[in-house]
Amino acid sequence: MTVVQRVLLELDEDYLGRPYYVSGNALYRAIARRVEASTRRSVAVSHGVFVPGEHGGYPDEHSQSGGAPYFGAGLRPVESYEDLFLFRDAAQRWLSSSRPRDAHNTHDLRVHSGRVAFAPTVRFGLPRESRNSKRTMTWYVHFYVHGDTGGSDVIPLDEDVLDGLRLGGARNYGLGGTSLKDTQTVDLDSLDYSMLEDAEGSFELELVSPYVTGSEYPGADDQSVPWWWTPRPGGLRRREERLVEDSDVYELETIDHGQVVGYGGPNPVETAKSGVLRVGTHSRFGFGEFRLRPVSEDRVPERASNAAARESARGGQR
Amino acid sequence: MLSVYRHDVHKSRGRSHEDAAAEFAGVPVNEPVPLGADSDAALLSRPRGEPAQSVKNHISPFRLSLVTGETATSAGRVEGGIRSALAELVQTEDPVEMHAAWLESAVASIFNESVYYPYTSLKFHTLLTAALVDNYRAGCGFDDLYLVVDRSEDAEADPRVVPHRTVLVLPSFALRITGEPGEKPAARLGAAPAMSWADVWTRLPEHPFDGDDGRMWRVVDAQLRRIQSWSTALQFIEESYGWWRAMRRSSRLGGGEQ
Repeated sequence: MTVVQRVLLELDEDYLGRPYYVSGNALYRAIARRVEASTRRSVAVSHGVFVPGEHGGYPDEHSQSGGAPYFGAGLRPVESYEDLFLFRDAAQRWLSSSRPRDAHNTHDLRVHSGRVAFAPTVRFGLPRESRNSKRTMTWYVHFYVHGDTGGSDVIPLDEDVLDGLRLGGARNYGLGGTSLKDTQTVDLDSLDYSMLEDAEGSFELELVSPYVTGSEYPGADDQSVPWWWTPRPGGLRRREERLVEDSDVYELETIDHGQVVGYGGPNPVETAKSGVLRVGTHSRFGFGEFRLRPVSEDRVPERASNAAARESARGGQR
Repeated sequence: MLSVYRHDVHKSRGRSHEDAAAEFAGVPVNEPVPLGADSDAALLSRPRGEPAQSVKNHISPFRLSLVTGETATSAGRVEGGIRSALAELVQTEDPVEMHAAWLESAVASIFNESVYYPYTSLKFHTLLTAALVDNYRAGCGFDDLYLVVDRSEDAEADPRVVPHRTVLVLPSFALRITGEPGEKPAARLGAAPAMSWADVWTRLPEHPFDGDDGRMWRVVDAQLRRIQSWSTALQFIEESYGWWRAMRRSSRLGGGEQ
């Protein structure tokens, strides 16, 4: 049994931290002070991805179908591997286009003494005369925790531990407050991996969080690009990150998340599981998470359907 | 190419192609765009199918801003008024100057490309349409196209602008749509036009942002990984840059992250 606990926090106050995600390290530090030493030593925490609490519906590849208002405001059932990533993608592809999806999925900015923070709720830009009918939407943070053995000796963490975590900068000034919205445990071994079980298929790998190649952290060796990645022409984009522990700052060299590489390994299902639990140095703090998908499947479903529509139109002309 | 830049000017009055006047400020507008480039550019920024009102209470040709959340009308600030600024924009007679005028235009970015999708931008829809027409005429299909980053040689110089193909220009970099990316950092647009901005942006082997405004560009980059509509995203980059500079001038913003 390999168990992860998924957690959804509601943002209650402005967040003044990393704009890409709440780092797993920040979540770990917030949790560590509330648990006993053995848990502290063995718990591993993913990056927290921002999720808008908005109307939406399942994209095709998921095990469930349909949609709901406030789709992003609660955890959804997980039966297949794809379901794990519903809220892990920055583009939040489940958001409905009949609403202003890009306005829902970008943060309102607030300035606090010269620094830019994200607001916990979004106002919708309505004309001045209708100011009173403004609708607001709340942001959530999605992450998961697991024990380093993969078993269930560390998790689930108590709701008391997860409720009221403070994240990001200026925490002593009331910023970054969250409350626990929902939590759920998932056994990775019992999920449906049928999309990855076709032995003939070829797969690609999408980086959900940065992969660390170099670190100033004591004892962390440099890593090369794993042999089972086959990068695309043009190479890989790199980005600097940092890890903050107490008041020490360690610079990290990473391969930036969001990129897609080919998969050249022998065992997609096993690789997929290790991608959920993350690989490489600092994987315990959220780095090195990835998702596997068949090459035939487009990350942008509308693009595939528009391409098919063009193809049939071209066929009709012949 | 002139007619491509003029084809959607009627949208400044919230009119559809069917209801629009054929002439504005003495030049013909609302002429058909060749090679299906107009509908392809529209698919990059809006969903397929019948338009639906996506922001309650806002049916207006004025664009809503993702940066401020408010209507982006700087009507009072457009010198001589919106109508005459628009007239000046479309009356240019040289195609290359016309492209340059649209890249620089502030008035074109006041409007959305559809009243139903108010965060989209008329300015960037038009520039994307022109880039598609020019590439299609050169024999490229949509699936041959790339988004390319052009950086300036040094921080002082402006990046190189390629007529009709450059879709966004800022002091240190430009973005371009082309079938021949050469050695430049580039990402494929994919098999067919769709709202795919975040997907193409995150696949670029190099992002144009770095340097002095580190924190600002990280915030902009993080948001760009969440946006799907092309014209909305390009407008967001341009507008964020202006917003940030204005904030700095009024010294409410420091530089670093911590």
